[in-house]
Parts: sequence; structure tokens; C-alpha cells
Amino acid sequence: MIGTAHQIVLPVVLPLLAAFLLPLVGRLHVWPARLLGQIVGVLHLAVVAYLWTLVGGGETIVSALGGFAPPLGIVLYADRLSVLFLLVLSVGILLFWPRREHGGTRADTLTLLLLGGGSGLVLSGDLFNIFVFYEIVAVASYGLAASGGNAAGFGAALRYLLLSALGSALALLGIALVYGAAGTLNLADLSVLAPERLSGPMGLAAFLLLVLGFGVKAELFPVNTWVPEVYTAAPTRVTAILAGVVSKLSMVVILRLLVLIFADPGAQTLLLVLGLAGVIAGELAAFRAPDLNRTFAFSSIAQLGLVAVAFSIPDDLGIAAGIAVAVHHAVVKPGLFVIAGHWTGPIERLGGAARVSRPAAIAFVLLSLSIIGIPPFPGFWVKLLLLGEAFAAVDPVYALAGAVILAATVVEAAYLFRAAALMWEPPEGDNRPPAAFPLARLAPTLVLTLLILLAMGAVSPLGEALEAMAAEVGDAAIYVGNVLPGRI
Amino acid sequence: MTDAMLLAEALGDVLYTGAIGLILLGLYAMVVPRHLVRIVLGLLLVQSGVNLFLVAVGYRPEAAAPILLGGQAIGPVVDPLPQALVLTAIVIGVGVLALALALVVRVKDVHGTLDSREVAERMAAETGDSRLMPETAPGRGAAVPAREMLEDRS
Amino acid sequence: MKGYGRAVAATIFLIGLGTLLAALFAALPFGQAPMQVGQATAVVALPETGATNIVSAILLAYRGLDTLGEVTILFVAATAAGMVLSGAGRGEAQGAPAGFILRVASGLLFPFLLALGAFIVVHGHLTPGGGFQGGAILAAAFFIPLLANPASPLNHTVAMVIEGVSGAAFIAIGAAALFGGEAFLTPLFGTGTPGELFSAGSLPLLYLAVGLKVGSELAGLMARVAGEGGRA
Repeated sequence: MIGTAHQIVLPVVLPLLAAFLLPLVGRLHVWPARLLGQIVGVLHLAVVAYLWTLVGGGETIVSALGGFAPPLGIVLYADRLSVLFLLVLSVGILLFWPRREHGGTRADTLTLLLLGGGSGLVLSGDLFNIFVFYEIVAVASYGLAASGGNAAGFGAALRYLLLSALGSALALLGIALVYGAAGTLNLADLSVLAPERLSGPMGLAAFLLLVLGFGVKAELFPVNTWVPEVYTAAPTRVTAILAGVVSKLSMVVILRLLVLIFADPGAQTLLLVLGLAGVIAGELAAFRAPDLNRTFAFSSIAQLGLVAVAFSIPDDLGIAAGIAVAVHHAVVKPGLFVIAGHWTGPIERLGGAARVSRPAAIAFVLLSLSIIGIPPFPGFWVKLLLLGEAFAAVDPVYALAGAVILAATVVEAAYLFRAAALMWEPPEGDNRPPAAFPLARLAPTLVLTLLILLAMGAVSPLGEALEAMAAEVGDAAIYVGNVLPGRI
Repeated sequence: MTDAMLLAEALGDVLYTGAIGLILLGLYAMVVPRHLVRIVLGLLLVQSGVNLFLVAVGYRPEAAAPILLGGQAIGPVVDPLPQALVLTAIVIGVGVLALALALVVRVKDVHGTLDSREVAERMAAETGDSRLMPETAPGRGAAVPAREMLEDRS
Repeated sequence: MKGYGRAVAATIFLIGLGTLLAALFAALPFGQAPMQVGQATAVVALPETGATNIVSAILLAYRGLDTLGEVTILFVAATAAGMVLSGAGRGEAQGAPAGFILRVASGLLFPFLLALGAFIVVHGHLTPGGGFQGGAILAAAFFIPLLANPASPLNHTVAMVIEGVSGAAFIAIGAAALFGGEAFLTPLFGTGTPGELFSAGSLPLLYLAVGLKVGSELAGLMARVAGEGGRA
């Protein structure tokens, strides 16, 4: 009934429609509203799964909204990369749907808006439209960060908002520069015009402004100071969604910008430097962090730094490595945050944790092993791919980056093993062991651990699919040809 | 050089200088003062500066406003696209500012101060450095037993 | 003196940044930007959409998804602000009523503001103005009485219903085209005679939805921040 190509707007408008109506339903009664929210979440997943059947073989879907041909109108663009991250978003949000907060159904409404906005963020093929969806995601996440109702949550959300809104203003300045120099906002059109109109200092300045803006959510150095505060003060489920999913969506946007518009060595070096700074600062801070929450917050900064480093390698396999690190992190880190959110307090008090809750301790160890990159866990293959690419790159600076990443892995292993070892020791002195872990609360972690174990058995098909995807994403000509047939 | 071009040049200087000035003033207000309301107002200034620049980008000398009433022939019009973008950006800014002010109200409510540094110190005391204060955690006015800090926050 | 260190450092940094920005802006000669999409749109907008206000044509037709996103952001902000303020301390926020003249004048202004806001909303596709501008005036119509007399209640339930229904209406109008096999937000009902009130197809309907949504959203948002919050 609905034309095939035009269905790709559904992941965006379904959650928005439900979000607009949710407060009305919630006025009558709370439980139907919560049910409606989760049903739409499941519907979103179903639509995304259906979209995967359409693009999984390497096809793309382009929908010119309003029937106005690009570059005048806005296009939505779905290829395997966009649908993969839609899937990550959908599954992540369903697994970590907020519990009932003191604000009634408001947290559910914000989660739906995050779902719709995030979908628009990865699907949109227009620079300003990306900004609009980024703002939806941003404002929804300020609200969710404060949804715990604790004093620290409000402070953290405000500081997060101020930094992020400043970043957004800078990104908007970058968009104004791009429009002023190139006269268009469509990504494909920009891709054609960029070599002529956006090369040199103007392009680099625009890219820097855009990266500083979109990098706030992507936890990029130096606009990531909000990360430890918010991840400690926000409810665990919100932390899991922000760290696991939202940060990756911003990375996808940065990847698209880098490949399509700013594919020059200056921009790549910039992203490499920011990424490496994130890796170094993140791992060192994680090593010194007083509690699990902060440890994982800083480790998350480091992991996203790795993604930035991978994307900066001018090669399809670099993109493949970046996508792999991003997806791996999106699966592993939310699971770890669930554990950190239950066992708060100083790391020293983790003694005896394994005796209190063996499944939680085992999941912690398995996920940690994967994130460090111990074979045969998927994290090993991910890091191997990244390091192989770094050392194989033509530019020697990438070999240096590879060495830094290896050193950072050692630091990472040190603090994760330290925490894991503590769990198997008896409680120190007269400390009580940590609180028991109800299985229902641990369920998302167990699901994600299971996913990691399953992925262990499917490394080679996953790797092949990843390479095909990266080859498609890394070729700007494919994108331009799909959006503006006849321009290339 | 015609008068119109000279006028355009002068106008350009004024608008660009104004945009840069607003951005810098706003950044200063966000970085130096510690009063939260001033920081929020600084954000407003930065946004205004960016919006001014964005709308200035679409200027074109000797052109009309992009409204074609009366069925006149389409002569040169200024670029309508930045105007549409700025309208969107302004509305976004309003939403973000309103939420920022709501958060400021609430922060004053729970922390009892509008000094950004004091707020940061109180937050660190509440969430983190339980190392420094192993037995009690301040927050919501009353001392919370350390035991509760181990409870789940989700 | 240590209080000045920060200010001095910031000033030096900002002077550098200002120079950089000036250099960047200088590379974009004023009044000569390429603006190819904007100019191309200006040429085809009237025949394609029937709207004589090209900015409105862009907002509703060419970049309709931006506009949906925009009203969504107001909605997100209002929801988040409501969440943040729910359970906030009451009390000193309730100021005393203003003087006699202000109170009476605010009552007298109400119908005029309402009429002006409605006029600007429904003529958005023809003349300067539109859903956002008109919506802001509609919001002011409801907010000014509140400022004059803080005790007068804003009916949050009505605002909430308008908010939800108008937002859903925007999406429904956009999605109606989907069932005809067209893309989301494709204008319906043809273009009509440009310049007439009933022209430009479904664009005025979209603007009406935007106006109602923006009006209810802003009124609710301002009322919440002004200390009414938490009751909704």
C-alpha cells in the first residue's frame, strides 16, 4: 500500500506520533500509556527488521520527502550502515526502556522522542535536517539525564545542556559556513561540490565546528567533560542508552560527513588527533576512577576515541574497523553499566561480589575480556582489525596511533582485571559485601553477554558482511549516484 | 562601484562584526562568570550571533524579500533558505533555553546556590568521592546512610 | 587578583578566536554567496506549491521534515521541563497580582492578540508570518493574563489536548500522502490560485497545526517556568 521507498520515514514518524499522543493517554491512565510506548518500540524494531530485508543485499532506499527532488528537498537515505544503527538504536532502547519514574509517563515520552530523533539522525541526507534531529536527541537526553530526580542529576543535566548547546551553536555556525561557501545542504550535492568549494581552510574550519558540535554526544575529546558526571548521576538505564546507542549515532553522522564532504587529509588528521587524545585521556582517567560507574564512563570515552581513530584511516577497512568497534561497544558497555549501576560505591568495596551474585560477576568478566580484546572474544577480532589497519596505513602517523592503542589496551586490562579480581576476593576488613543482584535487573546484561558469546561463533560471516558494508559506505560515488542520479 | 554595492559592503561589515561580537561576548559570559543565569544568557548571545550570521549569508544586493504577492514577475530575491533555517534555529534555541532555565530553577531548589562551581562541588560530594566520606552522603537535605549508596539507582 | 586571571585568559583566547572568525567570514564575500539551492527554490516554489511566501513554502514543503523536527523539539523541551519542575518547591514563585490597569488591559488585549495570532497563522502561506510567529502571539495571549495575575490558572489539560492533537495532525497530514504511494509530506489538494486564502493545497493546514502546537507548547512552557509547573 505504501510505496516501498517511502516507508523509510516510518521509523522517524511512528515514535514521534506516539510521543505526541502519549501524554493524552497518560492523562486517562498511566499503564496504557506505558504499554503504548513499548508497543511502538516493538513496532519500530519490526519496521527496522523489515527495512533490513530490503537493504541487506546491498540495495539502498532513497525517499525524497514531499516529492521534491534533491537537492531542493530533504532526502532520507537508508543503506546497510543506517539500518544497522537503526537496529542498534531500536534494540538498545527496548532493552533499557526506562522504569517508572516519579514523572509519570514523561520518561516514556522522552524515550520515544529519542527513538524517533535518533532514527532521523541516521537516515537523514541533509546537513541541516541532521542538525534538527541531533537537537531532538540532545534535548531528550538532557531530560532523561535529569529523570532520576536526584540533586546531582539536575546539576549534571544542566552542565551537560550548557556544553552541548554551545556545541550545537558551533555546529550551526559550521553549517552556515558550508551553506555560505557551497550554496547547498544536501549531503550528496555537497559531496560533488566540496572539492571545488570546501577545500582548504574553509572546509577544515567547517569540519572542526561540526565535529565539536556533533562530538558532544559522540564523547569526543575535548567536548566530553559531561560524560563522567552524567553517567554517574543519571539512572542506569539512561546511562546505558546514552553510552551505548546515542554516542554511536553521532559517530555515524561524523563518518558520513568525513566520507562525503570532508575527505581530505586535514580533516582526517584532525579526527585522528581528537580520537587519540580521547583514548589516552579516557584510559588514564578510567585507571584512576574511584568507582565502577566512572571507570566505565571514562572507558567509554576511550572506546569512542578508538572509533574516531578508525574512521580517520583513509581506507574502507578503517571504516569497517570503526563500525566494528562502535557496534561491539554498543553491545558490551550497556551491559557493564547495568552492573556498575547496581554496585555503586568505591571499587574497593566490590570484595565478595562474586559470592553474592555469581552470574553478575561472570558476565562482568566475560564482557571485560571482550572489551580488552582477549581471544576468542569478538573484541579481539575488532581490535585486531583496527590495529592491522593502523599499522598497514601508508601514513606512518597511524603506526604511532597503533602503538598508543596497544599501550592503552594494557592500561585497560589493568583496571578491568583489578576490579574483576576484587570480586572474587572476600570483603575487605569489616566491609559488607555488595548488595545482592536480582536476576530481573541483571537480565539486559545477560542478554548482551549471550549476544557476545553468539558472535564468537560467527566471526567470519560477520567480518565479511562488515567489509561489504564498509566498501559501500566508503565510496562517496555510490551515495551521490543514488541520491542524484546523473550527477556523476 | 555603485551606491548599492557600497551599501551592501557597509551592511556586510556591520552584520559580520555584529555576529562575531555576539558570539565572543556570549562565549565570555559562558566562561568567566560563575552565576548560572549569566551562563545561560551567554548561551543565548552565542545562538543569536550564529543566527545573525546565518541570515546574513543569504543577503543579495538590490533584491526583494522572498514574498511574491501580487503576482509580480520573479526578480532577484534574497536567499529564502537561510531565513527558513534561522526560523527553525530560533525555535530550537527557545526550547533549549526554556529547558535550561527550568533546570536552573531546579538546581537552585536542590543545591541552594546558583554558583556553578559550588554546584559542581556539591555534585562531586553527592555522587562520587564517597571515598572522602565513606559513611554519609549529602543530598536532599538529610544524611543518607552509606548502605543506601549501594542500592540501585535505575 | 586571582579572579582576574580567568578573565584575562578568556579575553586573550577570544581575541584570537575573533580574528579567526573574521578571517573565515572574509572568505565569504557578503551578498555573493552561491546560494544555488535557495535561488533554485525561489524560482520553482510558487508554481510547485502555490504559496506566495517562499519562506513558508520552504518550511512546509521543501523542508517540512525540519518543521516537524522543530515542533518536536519544543515538545521535547516542554516535556523535559515539566519533568524537571514536577515536585519542585512551591511558594515564593507566586507573586502578587499586578495593578488594576495592567490586569484590565491584559483582559482587553486577550481577544485582539487571539485574532492577530489566528490571522498570522492562516495567512502564513501568503504574507510574512506563519505558524511559528502566529503561534508565539497566541501563546502570548494566554501568558499575558498569567503575568498580570499569577493566581489565574492556565488550563493545562486543554493545552495538553491541543498540543497532542495538533502534533498528531501534522504527522497525519504528512502521512496521508504515504497511502497514495507518495513520499511523506507531499502536498495534497493541488496548488489552487496563488494569493488566495484557500490555496497552496495542504500547506495552510500544516501551518494551522504548527500554530496551534507552538501556541499551546510555548504557553505551557512559559507557564511552567514561571512557577505554575508541577500541577499539570
